[in-house]
Amino acid sequence: MAGAAPTPTGHGGKKALDAELNLVPFIDLLSCCISFLLITAVWTQIAGLQVASSGGPPEAPQKQENTIDVKLLLSEKGYSLSMAGALVEIPKINGKDGVPMYDRKALDEKLKTLKTSLPDQTAITVQPEDAVAYSDLVETVDAAMGQNLKNVTVAPMN
Amino acid sequence: MAIVTPGKRPGARIAASKVFGKKFGRGKKTPYAALMLTSLVDVMTIITIFLLMNFSANGEVLYMTKDIKLPDAFHGAQLERAPVISVSADAVTFDGKMVLSTADLEKGDVLNVPELEDALRDEKRRYEQIHSQDPDHPFKGLVNVQADRKIPFKVIKRVMFACNQSGFGNINFAALAKAPEVKVAAQ
Repeated sequence: MAGAAPTPTGHGGKKALDAELNLVPFIDLLSCCISFLLITAVWTQIAGLQVASSGGPPEAPQKQENTIDVKLLLSEKGYSLSMAGALVEIPKINGKDGVPMYDRKALDEKLKTLKTSLPDQTAITVQPEDAVAYSDLVETVDAAMGQNLKNVTVAPMN
Repeated sequence: MAIVTPGKRPGARIAASKVFGKKFGRGKKTPYAALMLTSLVDVMTIITIFLLMNFSANGEVLYMTKDIKLPDAFHGAQLERAPVISVSADAVTFDGKMVLSTADLEKGDVLNVPELEDALRDEKRRYEQIHSQDPDHPFKGLVNVQADRKIPFKVIKRVMFACNQSGFGNINFAALAKAPEVKVAAQ
């Protein structure tokens, strides 16, 4: 096989100056590595969105002066963001194929404004209706986390 | 007529010549074909580097099934190893074992799910027994919930309630990790 030891010149003459590397063990090693990595490979990257539930064990109060209670309601009509007595409605928009979908961009903007005015705010309560799909809930929690509202509590609407 | 091998047949004088004789010489060809191994090694090295860069030491944290299509998340953290509650359109499973059917959870207005609570309590008890002499790994009440994207919150709500009742207060919603969209400024 190629890649073996230097070619003998015979007759006890001059040795060849070009030495060939023995590639066979190197190929063996690479084959083993590739097999192992292919077998143990995880192709789907899973993310986790950690939330607290309203009925969970009571935690130490972390209420700060510069924070307010922010509630985000998910209903059939869309988002309702209530904070400090004010209520902001974000209705659903027509998505692909005319199917109504939650206006994620508008929510991002509202949450961004909230975070700008209250930089210490990290808590938000998400209250979906029973009919709200898991994907909408996850997207909403994801949007909140994207605006550094890391302490997300999920609670039923009533 | 004598039988000869086909090919060029030089005259005796040319065949004996040191200069021209080599041209017509029939040297033995080696039976081994030399492979070009350099390019092969290059390809294998690139594949190894690619696989090493994508290598995940955590392994499979969730039980991925065809019934469950996870939603996308752009700001999720890495999922920790914890008990997994899977909610598909047909069944609710806990660590791969079926607990009850999803249709049962969609019925009624009560929140408690005794079957799931029992399974979670058993898991908690088991964890505490295993780590009773291990203060570095206290029970954190972490549970991973993976549900199909169309599952209504009514079902999720009951699953969350069961988790809370059993002492699993830290709930991780599983989602497919996506890279945040890069916003290109308008020129």
